Amino acid sequence: MGQFIQYIINGVISGSILALIALGIVAVFKATKVVNFAHGHLILFGAYFYFTFSVVLADAPFMPAWVSSWEPAWLIAYAGDAPMFSPRAAIASWVSDLPRILLGLVGALAANAVLALIIERLIMRPLLGQSAFAMILSTVGLIWVLEGSAGLIWTAEAEQVPALGPNFPIRFQLFDQNLFLFSGSLVNLLVALLLFASLMLVLRYTRSGVAIRATAEDQSTAYAMGINVPRVFSTAWLVASTTGAVAGAILASRNGLSPAIGLFGLSVLAVVLMGGLDSFAGVLIASMLVGILSSMAQWKLGGGVAEIVPYVAVLVVILIRPHGFMGQEEIERI
Amino acid sequence: MALNRRTLLKTGAALTAASMAPGIVRAEGAHWRVAASLPMTGPFATAGQLVAPAFSEFEQQVNDNGGIGGKPIRVEVADSGYIPRNALANFQRAQAAGDLHFYYGDSTGFMELVGPTLTGDNAVMMGSTSFASALSDPANRPYQFMAGPTYEDQFEILLRDIANKGGKTVAFVYSDTEFGRDPIEHGRQVAAELGIDVVLEEVTRAEGADIENHVTKLAQANPEYTILQGYVTGVWPQLIGGARAFGLTTQFMGTFWGMEKIIADRVTEQAGPFLDGYQGVMPYRYFYDQDEAPFYQELGAFKRSVNPGFSGYVTAWELEGRLCLELWKLCMERVIEADKEVTPDNLMAELGSIRNWDSGGFFGAPVDVVDNKIGQGRVYRYDAETRLYNPVSDWIQV
Repeated sequence: MGQFIQYIINGVISGSILALIALGIVAVFKATKVVNFAHGHLILFGAYFYFTFSVVLADAPFMPAWVSSWEPAWLIAYAGDAPMFSPRAAIASWVSDLPRILLGLVGALAANAVLALIIERLIMRPLLGQSAFAMILSTVGLIWVLEGSAGLIWTAEAEQVPALGPNFPIRFQLFDQNLFLFSGSLVNLLVALLLFASLMLVLRYTRSGVAIRATAEDQSTAYAMGINVPRVFSTAWLVASTTGAVAGAILASRNGLSPAIGLFGLSVLAVVLMGGLDSFAGVLIASMLVGILSSMAQWKLGGGVAEIVPYVAVLVVILIRPHGFMGQEEIERI
Repeated sequence: MALNRRTLLKTGAALTAASMAPGIVRAEGAHWRVAASLPMTGPFATAGQLVAPAFSEFEQQVNDNGGIGGKPIRVEVADSGYIPRNALANFQRAQAAGDLHFYYGDSTGFMELVGPTLTGDNAVMMGSTSFASALSDPANRPYQFMAGPTYEDQFEILLRDIANKGGKTVAFVYSDTEFGRDPIEHGRQVAAELGIDVVLEEVTRAEGADIENHVTKLAQANPEYTILQGYVTGVWPQLIGGARAFGLTTQFMGTFWGMEKIIADRVTEQAGPFLDGYQGVMPYRYFYDQDEAPFYQELGAFKRSVNPGFSGYVTAWELEGRLCLELWKLCMERVIEADKEVTPDNLMAELGSIRNWDSGGFFGAPVDVVDNKIGQGRVYRYDAETRLYNPVSDWIQV
């Protein structure tokens, strides 16, 4: 039972990251009816921007030394001679890295937002009025453009980036079982869920949220009602790119920075299909389910099979419910 | 004979070809040609760029010393992007450009792809970055060799070291790639022979592995030793970091591609000193261990002479490329000395006859080439404070 709960916890943590990635795909689809195949590569750019700002720029000779490593006397005293990976050492190390983490996050959010706006203005907006198929194919082409550009700008070597939160093991008992999770993963989980919840609240209770939902219902009517539909499109791409930047930073700090992040992001499309392309609640459920299934498969069946099992489940769900768990069924009037 | 326009053109073309042919023949005969595919771009671009100097410097050093048998060498390097079909195209282009006396491949994938085509006139002596066990097969791959032990041998060296230290349990953690799976079956057999219990075999993604689940499984299996296989720059540092953060005391070990000092140094620089104590098998001395390595001293002096900014360290990856070239040169010299024709068959026959060879310090003891490989290596331990890998075993022969 203890092991079972342990893998559920691991699965929920993985699932929350899937949900954060899926968020951007759903946001763009809800507003524009375009399935953004290049979302994984937006995340890849977010991860590389985070690396650029938090590692390359922070360690640049022209930057003040405190950006690279902030070590006030009180922090050194607090850290004392705590052993590596003890909570105190982990917290002290994280506080010391805070300036570079913040620089990395702010830089990644801004740079990814600019990138998304460029993509939206130069590629997607000229295709407004064309078939959704043309727009979707252009996002497929974008994959190769972004992947190639990343290869030209950065090396493809695996790099280390600072984690968003301090990383030490948290041990606790549940149902008389010894369990653990990493504090860094807990921070990632909280960040992902917080962003997810915030976006849902924004969509529900703000004017721009209502505009996005109205545009998702019917673009022509939204136009007629005075909604600035192109701005809605830009907003959706901004949401996708900024949440993608955070997802990229989390993935890079958790698994290492490498071009594989782009493909991982692409694989989340299957999770989105399972949950329903236009349903935030649906993709949250699907993400958690896939995360837990992956974790269980890794536990019981091992790596090779674990890669396949969750996606077999996705296929089964799509066969039974073609629109996913909570996706809106499209009714075509003839 | 009437000289019409067509005849004139044909005659002109024939004359041009005839006049250039001796030049081409002279050009072919004037050099020993060496070509290579390296991943100068793509996922292993850093590795490719670090290996590249081995080729240009080898060319310069050999030619400065009068070439081989009095004839200079010419080295051509092409980018493969770590894509086997690109490397194959590079190889075919190099072959089409004239007599090719040695080729260096960039991956197991390329060596597997090209292996069956190396017959008859297409045969070329060929080394590579790969230590794949399948390449140590003179019967089926008579022209391919490796400048060190196979991954199976490297696993065996580690398992023997574990047995010597009284280890009883081990976990194999490997990437879901050919590179990762290569030595696992052999590792199981050797572990059984040595009385070591394999308590976990864990397959991971080659990049972006789910560290939490893998650490959980390692914690449950609780092995004394964990051997990592099939990684270069990614996954293994995150896995060790995760395991150490969790408090696991298992001794992590790696093989050649996971043992480069600059990677361990970079991880230490960026993420802290948690790789301290990490061990693994390395076929060669590290470059900073020069006391009994006259070749390293000579190479260091040469590098300083051509590049005053030389850092003083040469990666193990570059050393592997250089050793392949040195083995080819040795075979060439022996073939020429014996007054035999320089053919791939004669070169490989010389390679197979190398016994008790003093490598000038690459290896700790004189080595033999058996089954187109050199089965020797030593276990090293990383010290995060000094940033050095230090030997913790004698040279082990397999």
